[in-house]
Amino acid sequence: MSIVEVQELRKQYDPPKGVLAVDGVSFDIAQGEIFSLLGPNGAGKSTTISMLSCLLHPSGGDALVDGHSVVTDSQAVKEAIGVVPQDIALYPDMSARENLVFWGKMYGLAGGELQTRVDEVLELITLVDRQKDRLEKFSGGMKRRVNIGVALLHKPRVLYLDEPTVGIDPQSRRSILDGILALRDQGMTILYTTHYMAEAQELSDRIGIVDHGAMIAVGTNDELVKIVGEEAHVDLRVDHYLDGMVERWAQVLGVTKAMIDEDHAVLLVQDANEVLPRLFEAAAAAGSRITEVNVTEPNLEMVFLHLTGRALRE
Amino acid sequence: MSRIFAIAWKDLRSTMRNVPALAMMLAAPLALSALLGFAFGGGGNFSISATKVAVADLDAPVFTSSSGVASSSAGQTVVGILKSPQLKDILQVSEKPIAAARRSVDGGKAAAAVIIPADFSSVIFSTSSTTPRTAIELYENPTQGIGGSITESIVDQALLELNGARAAAQAAAAVATANGRSHDQAVQKAIKTFVGQGGSSGVAVVQRPPQLGGKKSKDVGITGLVLAGMMVFFMFFGASNVARTILTEERNGTLPRLFTTPTPRRVILGGKFASTYLTVLAQAVIIVVAGRLFFAIDWGALDVVALLILAAAAVASSLGLLVISIVRTPAQAGAIGAGVYLVLGLLGGSFTGTAQSGTTYATVERLTPNGWLLVGWDRALRGGGAADIVWPVLIPLVFAVVFFALAVFRFRRRFA
Repeated sequence: MSIVEVQELRKQYDPPKGVLAVDGVSFDIAQGEIFSLLGPNGAGKSTTISMLSCLLHPSGGDALVDGHSVVTDSQAVKEAIGVVPQDIALYPDMSARENLVFWGKMYGLAGGELQTRVDEVLELITLVDRQKDRLEKFSGGMKRRVNIGVALLHKPRVLYLDEPTVGIDPQSRRSILDGILALRDQGMTILYTTHYMAEAQELSDRIGIVDHGAMIAVGTNDELVKIVGEEAHVDLRVDHYLDGMVERWAQVLGVTKAMIDEDHAVLLVQDANEVLPRLFEAAAAAGSRITEVNVTEPNLEMVFLHLTGRALRE
Repeated sequence: MSRIFAIAWKDLRSTMRNVPALAMMLAAPLALSALLGFAFGGGGNFSISATKVAVADLDAPVFTSSSGVASSSAGQTVVGILKSPQLKDILQVSEKPIAAARRSVDGGKAAAAVIIPADFSSVIFSTSSTTPRTAIELYENPTQGIGGSITESIVDQALLELNGARAAAQAAAAVATANGRSHDQAVQKAIKTFVGQGGSSGVAVVQRPPQLGGKKSKDVGITGLVLAGMMVFFMFFGASNVARTILTEERNGTLPRLFTTPTPRRVILGGKFASTYLTVLAQAVIIVVAGRLFFAIDWGALDVVALLILAAAAVASSLGLLVISIVRTPAQAGAIGAGVYLVLGLLGGSFTGTAQSGTTYATVERLTPNGWLLVGWDRALRGGGAADIVWPVLIPLVFAVVFFALAVFRFRRRFA
């Protein structure tokens, strides 16, 4: 059963000629599922979350969250969701506890219930010992944890996390990802946006790949990887003549796509073991020498490359 | 309602932790008032103290007792005016030789020396149609506050009276000449009569306290008026400072995050207005109490003071919100807000005091909320009751309603 149903959601700033940030996106999220929106910066992920948070009014389409329309019943939607924004949105001159108490009130909590939930959330984000310290004294990772904790205070049915691991150390990232998986195990539905392929692969039950405001593929990790079939991803560096080499490699038997990514060539090949010797031969024939080879099994990065002709990080 | 107070309390606490903001809101008006009080020559309660003036009268009488009136000189008339009982609270006059008078000023013992030339009476009593010229020298130290200016003003007034008497005597003499007396005798007779009576009664500055609601009003110390002006002026800055947190929160992402909570936007903006209002209210109360404790200012009746503070807080906070609703960044808010509040302060009389009714400046003042508030404070300080401040409270409240409505309109469009 879907708890989030997005139908042809659209956002255009300053219509009719303004930027079309989201172009008819549709997807749904089942109860208790982690659904990731994966795409490069500027793909429309945050705009989509803003509309689902009732922060932005859609230019077209609608979305039902817990059965309520984001267009006509925003109040009910806001009661059902918790939002973790991309940037830390807290009050640095207040302590962790003061922040949680304030935001709890904004979510309608009061009295003993509020204090109990604040205590529970402090336990959950493992900041009980530092609860009286001002946020300005916290590390980036600790602030991120409070940022997430705020959205959990009112026990939302759906949690939106907009790139919550940007700019933090690996240890804090690991802690946050483990926390998200734990929330999913407790039955919470999670909408997660990221431009990190590995995060989407690790966390998600299903993934929607977004580019230029459009949803270009939706499915489980396995389903999406099948789009590129058995093709392997080969990165090659040569000592010179890269442009000419990419053109030659594109003609080699077994190569389905060849392109340049900054200072190296990226190839999609059907069978790396068979194709690699031919690639070396082609380079030698052209007077170039291959200096580095990387072979990667099919993954979401390759799916994105296959669908858009660009690397995910671009 | 509890959410409004939660937002207001958060902002209030944040403001109380912001030392530079507190300095601007509280220390600046008090310090400026103290400085201006001293600049006006005061100490203690900062009322204007008597200016010490040294007078060197070199003038010689031109008439003798045998001429029919008491021997006198125009110089003594001027000295008499300066020493008149009506001016004893303003001028403290001592007659000295010319060198000693100048030394008094040089040594800072007197704010000014008035040196009356030897030919003063002869010029005043001259019957020549081409009047010879002379000048009273005002020797003053420009660093000694406004004492020199006060002395100059009073001497000017005395000369004006003497010249006026001279003109009147000329006219009277024309009539006398027609009756057979010589012109010169008639002029001299008329002037002698004036000089003989002058000084103590003919020329004087008479201070009359203004009437308020048919009652005699209290004397008002200058510090009270100055601090009232500064308080109103800095309340606008204080309001702007708190209202600016809307922009800061928008930039820091906390405002958009607040909009994703079930708390309605009108409640969030209501909380922001409440925090702005309560902050400037607290600012005004603290300044009024500090004025009472440190400067012994008698602000007037408690109900009158409360009404004026409530009205001032309303108009300051609503204008603060309006400015914030128009600009886009905290930097713009600082620049544009400062310009708006400075112009309002200048036009409203925050730096000059309330103008006399009927003058152009008074009309301009009454176009600003500051001007009306200062009229109210002026009346409160002079002992006025609630009936005397009806308009000075009502009109700023009308300004507040208009500003608030415009701000709400702007915010609704901006955060729709």
